[in-house]
Amino acid sequence: MEAAAVARPRASRWGNALERQGVLASVLVAPAVIFIAALVGGPLLLSVYLSFTNATAGSLSGKWVGTENFRHEWSNQTFQDAAWHTFLFTVLSQVVVLLVAGLLAHALLRSFPGKWILRFLILLPWAAPLPLSLMGWKWMFDTSYSIINWTLENLGFVSKIDPPQWLAQPRLAMGSVIAVHAWRLIPFAVVIFLAGLASIPKEVDDAAAIDGATGLKKFAFVTLPLQLPIATVALLFGIVFTATDMAVVYILTQGGPPPSFSTEMVTTWSYKTGIESGSLGPGAAISLALLPVLAVVAIGMLIFARKREVT
Amino acid sequence: MSNAFREKSLSYLIVGPFAIVLAFPFYVMVITAFKNGTEFYDASATPYWFKQGPTLDNARFLFDNTPYTDWLENTALIGVAVVGITLLLALPAGYALARLSGRVGQSLGVGIFLTYLVPPTLLFLPLFWVISRLHLQDRLLALILVYPSFTVPFSTWLMMGFFKTIPQELEDAARVDGASRLKTLVRVIFPISLPGILTVIIFSFSLVLNEFVYAFTFISSTAHRTLSTGVYTDLIRGDLPEWGAIMVAALIPSIPLALLYNTFLDRFIAGFTGGAFR
Amino acid sequence: MASSDDPGRREGRYDRRELIRRAGAGAAAVGVAGSGLGQAFYGPLRFKGRDLSGDLTIIQWAHFVPAYDQWFDNTWIKQWGQKNDVQVKVDHILNTLLPTRAAAEVAAGQGHDLFFQLSPPAQFEDQVIDHKEIVQEVTRKVGKIGLVGKKATYNPKTKKWFAFSDNYVPDPVVWRRDIWNGVGESPATWEHVRRAAPKLKAAGHPLGIGQSAELDSNMALMSFLMCFGAYVQNEKNQVVLKSKRAVEAVKFMADIYKRGETDEIFGWDPSGNNNFIYSGKGSLILNAISATRTPEDRKLPFADDLWIWPIPKGPVQRKGFEHVMGCYQIWKFAKNKAAAKKFLADLEINYSQAFTASKFYNFPSFPGAMPFSKIRRATAADKHKPLGKYGILTTIAQKYTVNPGYPGNANAAFDEMFNKFLIPKMFAQVSKGQMSAQDAVNAANHDIQAIYKKWRKLGKI
Repeated sequence: MEAAAVARPRASRWGNALERQGVLASVLVAPAVIFIAALVGGPLLLSVYLSFTNATAGSLSGKWVGTENFRHEWSNQTFQDAAWHTFLFTVLSQVVVLLVAGLLAHALLRSFPGKWILRFLILLPWAAPLPLSLMGWKWMFDTSYSIINWTLENLGFVSKIDPPQWLAQPRLAMGSVIAVHAWRLIPFAVVIFLAGLASIPKEVDDAAAIDGATGLKKFAFVTLPLQLPIATVALLFGIVFTATDMAVVYILTQGGPPPSFSTEMVTTWSYKTGIESGSLGPGAAISLALLPVLAVVAIGMLIFARKREVT
Repeated sequence: MSNAFREKSLSYLIVGPFAIVLAFPFYVMVITAFKNGTEFYDASATPYWFKQGPTLDNARFLFDNTPYTDWLENTALIGVAVVGITLLLALPAGYALARLSGRVGQSLGVGIFLTYLVPPTLLFLPLFWVISRLHLQDRLLALILVYPSFTVPFSTWLMMGFFKTIPQELEDAARVDGASRLKTLVRVIFPISLPGILTVIIFSFSLVLNEFVYAFTFISSTAHRTLSTGVYTDLIRGDLPEWGAIMVAALIPSIPLALLYNTFLDRFIAGFTGGAFR
Repeated sequence: MASSDDPGRREGRYDRRELIRRAGAGAAAVGVAGSGLGQAFYGPLRFKGRDLSGDLTIIQWAHFVPAYDQWFDNTWIKQWGQKNDVQVKVDHILNTLLPTRAAAEVAAGQGHDLFFQLSPPAQFEDQVIDHKEIVQEVTRKVGKIGLVGKKATYNPKTKKWFAFSDNYVPDPVVWRRDIWNGVGESPATWEHVRRAAPKLKAAGHPLGIGQSAELDSNMALMSFLMCFGAYVQNEKNQVVLKSKRAVEAVKFMADIYKRGETDEIFGWDPSGNNNFIYSGKGSLILNAISATRTPEDRKLPFADDLWIWPIPKGPVQRKGFEHVMGCYQIWKFAKNKAAAKKFLADLEINYSQAFTASKFYNFPSFPGAMPFSKIRRATAADKHKPLGKYGILTTIAQKYTVNPGYPGNANAAFDEMFNKFLIPKMFAQVSKGQMSAQDAVNAANHDIQAIYKKWRKLGKI
């Protein structure tokens, strides 16, 4: 680490300290790395091992079956549907988040009376512990007592007997799950965007004004490009959060509704197979499908962000 | 119409509706929290207001029939401890990675981020096995030990980006004055990075609060549960969720936290001035 | 916790030596007469000499009749704990989360001494003890286990009792007589139901036979299959779903859906069909009596119009599964197996108390613990209208209730199929017009056979 790492213009100045810096750096990074290796790396390896066995019902060992789990599970239609749903879910919710958060962050830049309160309202979905706010949503979507349906019924837009079933009709269910997930991520994205916007140096602002770029032009040619690195990172985190988190789907629909299970995601399907049905090996194999895809996406986006950095 | 006025009204037009939509579920929660239980099944009672007047029965049910205060305490305790551990691990690591330019630093950084891609559904069984070997099951310590595994990568990343914005010259100046490396860190760098630290605190805390799978697996006895699991497991009686009590339980942490975040938001944003995510 | 040095405590209960003496002289009568705490206590010679001190940890569901948990937590375990010098702790969790919890405890090799499941947990056979000691003990005191309980918790292939079932719950239909009267019908047979469906829906009160991925739908639809003479497995535990009768059943239900139900039946959880009735909208559901007890408790205006009938008769027979079945398991790694065994034995032997506390929800798996005659007397004394409505439960229990897996027995493959909700999926595919009935049945049959093959390979069937 010491030798290859640092190439600075002040190399001679730091000559002596190079070694010390390297040592210090290792010391500083070590605890975090060790911790992560132990608590993520270790169990991950165990899970990978499991995916090659036929372990069942919670016991952490089983007979080696090679790639059979992968072959069997990845060719399963339910899994393939789940993969597609995960993709849809991730992409659509992120699009909504980006658009809304971008807009909101922009509008929140300047001060206006009442901004503090409005901002408070916007932050609420993020501040509330997720499983609790999901209960709120479940109540709002309830098959019998949904406030949304009550409103629509009393306004005469839908029938009292057969109102829209937000979690029981396939397309609506997917829409609801996407909406709730976006709802939960928007405040987080707004904050990140606000930070990004605030970081645009004033000189750039002034320069744009001088060049006559205002309003939409400014947004398109100045703000957007400068926002790109942050937006990319925000998008990346959003994608990862969305693809690997099963709370929203699990609590709202459990991957239903039958028969199409339109909201079944890779995470919930893995959970059902591995835990609820006791087939650990196959469950691990399903979950592992996410890793390479996300890794590729992550690395790709990181490279993109790095290239686009405006200094 | 002046430009400023037009921009202000534009802001209202955009922020207003979204704020209402985002906060609407909380309005429903508030009404439900204080609604009389019999009104739930009364089709003539509007869900937007109280037919029989607000009642504290649901809150009373929550506090009398469940160890809700225990859950609050547990969550707070875990939150503080995990934030502490995260700061301890992520701050130095973020700094080191920020200064460690070149491929090693970058690949380590990316490597740390990649741990994020592993879903908890994959890890929770092996982790539970580890926790039991350590005889920590049903102890809050188990969560305190495991949660940093997802707060640390994220926070390291945040701090890495943040430290990169601190010009090298600042450190060099301190070194020239004869300060040792360590002293520079403590006396010069960390005070400046207070907004970044604030960020880590807020983000880590919110990650802890939202976590469900691990909390559910490692903690089994009711009294040791956290907010996210206790409400879900103890207030839904299979046949009938206690909606009123659930909503009370949901509101109690949400509102203060939102107030807190809102208060610190400006400072936190100020910390990013300079482009943290470079 | 009891201290044996405390003289005041000694007086209220039998000293162990005295118990054994009395047991030798015919303790049964003495036990029934009851101690001051009103509790029959059979001093089991079987567990004699085993040290019963220490802790006993139990995990079970949050009962759909809250009164049961109140009795269990505040009365039963306290009394039993005092009598046996054991500190009993019970955790309640949401029933849908029990399988996860169990898997986690097995993975860790640590957990509760007694683990409760709502359906026969055959998948954990290897991780639990053989429960035959408890079965034998209870048999000696109150008689044999019922057929339902036996076929649900005994694996004839491995000859192991992989769980101890304390109770099962008969599954009636709960229907709104006022609404049905209004359209001049009653749910005597499934044909009646189909006929009434469009009329009920037009009156604004559709039917509610769930086709969701949850427990109630599972039970209702599998019972429905049986009424048509279709089964998932036969007595030899072979998959026989692919049959003309299954196709007929699926088509029939799809017809009922089209004529008389709405889409919400696809999005329910266990509380969904209950809420459907409580809101006043629903006209019929298949559910245990928690669906009538709650309206009574909450004084809903139509509580007296809710009638309880057996499952409607199909073209072949009238038959249903139990709604849920309580099955306790003791892990091989449980710390206090002796206390766990005795706890279960005592609970079952004294089941009349549990039965009453559950407001007739829990029927004992060992019928001798609360004979049907006694049950009939209890239900007749219930004051809710229409008077005597709960009496039908005994008929349902005796004549129309079978174990999951009937005519075979409950096994891990059946359990897995159950947990994956393959049957509701099959019905929903046809109801929603996604597949033809024959295709759906074939597909389900294919999936289920794969599951059976796997478990057969593991030697469990």
